Amino acid sequence: MDELTRAQTDLGRALGRARAGEDRELAQKVREGGEQLAHMLGGLLKLTRTHSPDNHAFDAPVAEFGRSLAALGELLGTVHLVTVEDQVYVNDIRIRSEGKAGSKDLGSELRRHNTGGLSFHGPLEVAQIRALVAGLAGAGAPGAPRGSLAGWLAEQGVGSVELTGIYRFQTTRTDAEAPRRDPGEVLGRLLELVEETFENLAAGRVLNPLPLRRSVIEALEAGIEAPAFWLAFPDCPPHAAHAVEVAMTALLLGKAARLPSGFLQDLGIAALVHDAGYLAPGVGEGAAGLARHPVEGARIVLRQRGFSEAKLRRLRAVLEHHRDFGDASLRPSTFGAILRLAEDYSNVVRLYGAKVTRDAALGAMLKAGGKLYQPVLAQLLVNALGRFPPGTLLELADGRHGRSTAPARGEELWDKPLVRLLDPTTHRPVGELVDLARGGAIRRALPG
Amino acid sequence: MTQPQPPAGGTRTTPPTAGLEPERAPLATSDGGQAAAALVLALSKAARSFSLYDPANAVVRQFLSDYQQKAQLATAGTPLVLDVLPFDLLREGELVYREVDRERSLAFKLFRDGVRRLTFEPEVPWAELLAFLEIVAIRSTGIRQQEEDLATMLRKAEFGGIRVVAVEGFTPEEDNPEPEERRRRSGQGARPPAGFDTPFPLLPPPGPIAFRSVPEEALAPLRAEDGPEALVHNALRLAALLLHEAGRGAVAPGEARQFLVEVRDFLIADGALAALAALADLVARQPAGELREEILRALGDARVLAAVVAAVRPGTAELPPEAARLLPLVPASAALDLLATEPDEGRRAVLVRIAEARLPADAEAVVSRLSSLEPAAARGLVQAIAARAPAWAAAAAAALLEHQDVRLQVEALKALEHAEGDVPADRLLRLLRAGQEAVRIGVAQVLGRRGQPSAFPAVEEALTGRRDLSHAEADALGRALAHLHQARSLDLFARWLEPRKGLLGRLTGGRQEDPLRWAAVAGLGAHPAPDAVARIEAVAKGADDELRRHCFATLARRRHEGARHG
Repeated sequence: MDELTRAQTDLGRALGRARAGEDRELAQKVREGGEQLAHMLGGLLKLTRTHSPDNHAFDAPVAEFGRSLAALGELLGTVHLVTVEDQVYVNDIRIRSEGKAGSKDLGSELRRHNTGGLSFHGPLEVAQIRALVAGLAGAGAPGAPRGSLAGWLAEQGVGSVELTGIYRFQTTRTDAEAPRRDPGEVLGRLLELVEETFENLAAGRVLNPLPLRRSVIEALEAGIEAPAFWLAFPDCPPHAAHAVEVAMTALLLGKAARLPSGFLQDLGIAALVHDAGYLAPGVGEGAAGLARHPVEGARIVLRQRGFSEAKLRRLRAVLEHHRDFGDASLRPSTFGAILRLAEDYSNVVRLYGAKVTRDAALGAMLKAGGKLYQPVLAQLLVNALGRFPPGTLLELADGRHGRSTAPARGEELWDKPLVRLLDPTTHRPVGELVDLARGGAIRRALPG
Repeated sequence: MTQPQPPAGGTRTTPPTAGLEPERAPLATSDGGQAAAALVLALSKAARSFSLYDPANAVVRQFLSDYQQKAQLATAGTPLVLDVLPFDLLREGELVYREVDRERSLAFKLFRDGVRRLTFEPEVPWAELLAFLEIVAIRSTGIRQQEEDLATMLRKAEFGGIRVVAVEGFTPEEDNPEPEERRRRSGQGARPPAGFDTPFPLLPPPGPIAFRSVPEEALAPLRAEDGPEALVHNALRLAALLLHEAGRGAVAPGEARQFLVEVRDFLIADGALAALAALADLVARQPAGELREEILRALGDARVLAAVVAAVRPGTAELPPEAARLLPLVPASAALDLLATEPDEGRRAVLVRIAEARLPADAEAVVSRLSSLEPAAARGLVQAIAARAPAWAAAAAAALLEHQDVRLQVEALKALEHAEGDVPADRLLRLLRAGQEAVRIGVAQVLGRRGQPSAFPAVEEALTGRRDLSHAEADALGRALAHLHQARSLDLFARWLEPRKGLLGRLTGGRQEDPLRWAAVAGLGAHPAPDAVARIEAVAKGADDELRRHCFATLARRRHEGARHG
């Protein structure tokens, strides 16, 4: 086999993988279906000039639009309809609009609401389509027309339709300078993104892993050992804070296990969405929710169409993140085992932190290695978090109090953390950072 | 999703076509610029060629060769640096590429994904150029591809000879941002239940902790899940997990089905036949029922057929065990399509077996093709349908009722006898006048078995309207009457068995009425009337040898059937 033949074979295989689950004629089907969808939406909006959306004149076209959207959704998962002046794209495929005013005018209709596109995260019922049409046909609200319309649509039960802005790409290279990698900023973006992701998933939308991946890469490049990633996140909703805590611990473990970078990225995304199943309607509380949320989470991950290694890893991780390592028949994947450990550590601190020191919690988890946890990972967690894991309340030998701020800095400094001092009366951080590697000692660790 | 504003005057007014027509001529005039332009054009064409041609196509080879040559020229001696703008690529400020249609534009895809500069080092290895092309091609052809973008894929590739500058967390600038939007959206309902992740598992009392180095060999199993083999293993493991969850109703069948289809496509693309067979085994092991059939229907893929057929040695009907395991993944329709043109006898037999193996999942597809198949193949499939997809037996038989091959017609009628669901009564009744006795007898048996009273007059007419009925046909028709209408048949049988008196009776000796008397005896044998046995015995007393033997045989049959049915 010569060089080019081998290249053809390898490329064919790679593309086959990337397109797994896609119909061979998918592009053409999307072009045709998208064209139909765009024209019908444009037509429905035009019809509002002569009829109210609840008029019978809408019956047939609304039903047809619903069928068309459902068919496209079946093919694509999420249908992204984007307008650029008089051009329309559906999932990046350009729609023919010549001689068909319906779709050609769609851009101007949407612009009234400061909207450049619509993302359909699921099929729509007749009533939802009528509401969407009524909303789009109305006048744009002053101030924040897109936000107002999005809020109104959510009230009408059309939350699965996302309105996107009108974006512009700069035509000069003004943003190619060195990227900012301040851990605090990276963390802020990550928390915001996780919160937004959860909002989207709760609204029935499809998981978009790409922004999460970018954020995980940023965090890894900024250095996840940085103190910013190990502080408490008091301004953040508890579930988002929990997701980021678990992700950081999981990434730390992954790095300690010297997992490859692609593996780490996938692990980070899986950790950020591992509890998405709790967003499923009626998942239940307590033990019922605990038992059911992994499979509900998997169902959320399954909304995303297409085959990829990352999706597979994510699926297994979400499904298996509460499984015991000791149960040979249900033994979790590496991802599942890492998440189990990272999540239990986060939870034990969250639930029992006021009574138990973090190192004691680690000590208990280490002892459970082989039964609940993968034993090698449990030791790696101990090595990585340190003798005094980040957040541990410490009484120093000189009587001052502080909290350890970051994971261990290697074997030699394993029991010599960086400590943020606390005000003796308010117990609030006072800003001074003490590096115990340079001197000083710890009298004891305290719960809290 | 983002929307660029194309450069002024650059908006296309014609729709994009799927072809690979020459793109807008590059504007570069310098030697280096022209070489760069040629490389980018070759890259773009090669990447898009995969969405138009099979990867093995000679055209693709030509594009690859062109890409290789142009890359060698463009990177000879000095690094090639390309700056990425929304619709343009520049080399040292010189335009080397412009395409404003975002569906086609390589520059747009790179820019949108955050890539701002590409540097190809001199004599960059072919393996890296190919990997680069692969990434661009995946982004160009994978419509559902949303897991990664060009920046993350290029970063992951860790090239040595291609450097990438990408902006972090790139989001395009919005024309008119609405700062209130996020705040409004926040808190709309993404709240997990209170007390999530509780109850917490019981942990042992804490033990001491210490740093302990973990040897490399202990880490190896953790990394074993990275790589092609692990990917296959993971895919199959997940397929099993999701089937299990679907089986207990925690995951919708459609969700599991969609995932398994994706896994199948991946395994096909990878040529992983053993894993495909394992996937087939996995589905086959599921409990019989609608879930399994639904998954089997969805997993059928004509691409697997080629692998199965290729494994059959010409002239034999032997299927290697590995290939046989793939049978559940081959759609019956594809096998039957191939059957129409396959000259090799052995392979033909295998193709029929494939179709049979897909029952009951593909019953509809099989039934729709039955009438166009050669009789032997159709006969085997009808028998298989009757046995494995009885719900489709009526449709299968109906498809063959008027077939020109009598044996096939008879086979169809046999299948119809035991079929579930409605049978085509009008067509059956017409066949009571068929030219072949075997067909007529088959119809009588079906009618009797189905017991549709409306068929009674036609069956009576079939008996009384002809004088040349054989005993076998009269027997079948008589029994059918008994099943179709008990009261009316009893009257008829009494009339037909009444001894003829007078001149006519003496002249004919009753022979003219033989078929009717024969039918009446047979009918009484199948009749539930309490005195049916006594009536047959009475007939036997006054009958000639032949009729008497028929009476005794009927009584024996009645006893036998009575014993069988309790």
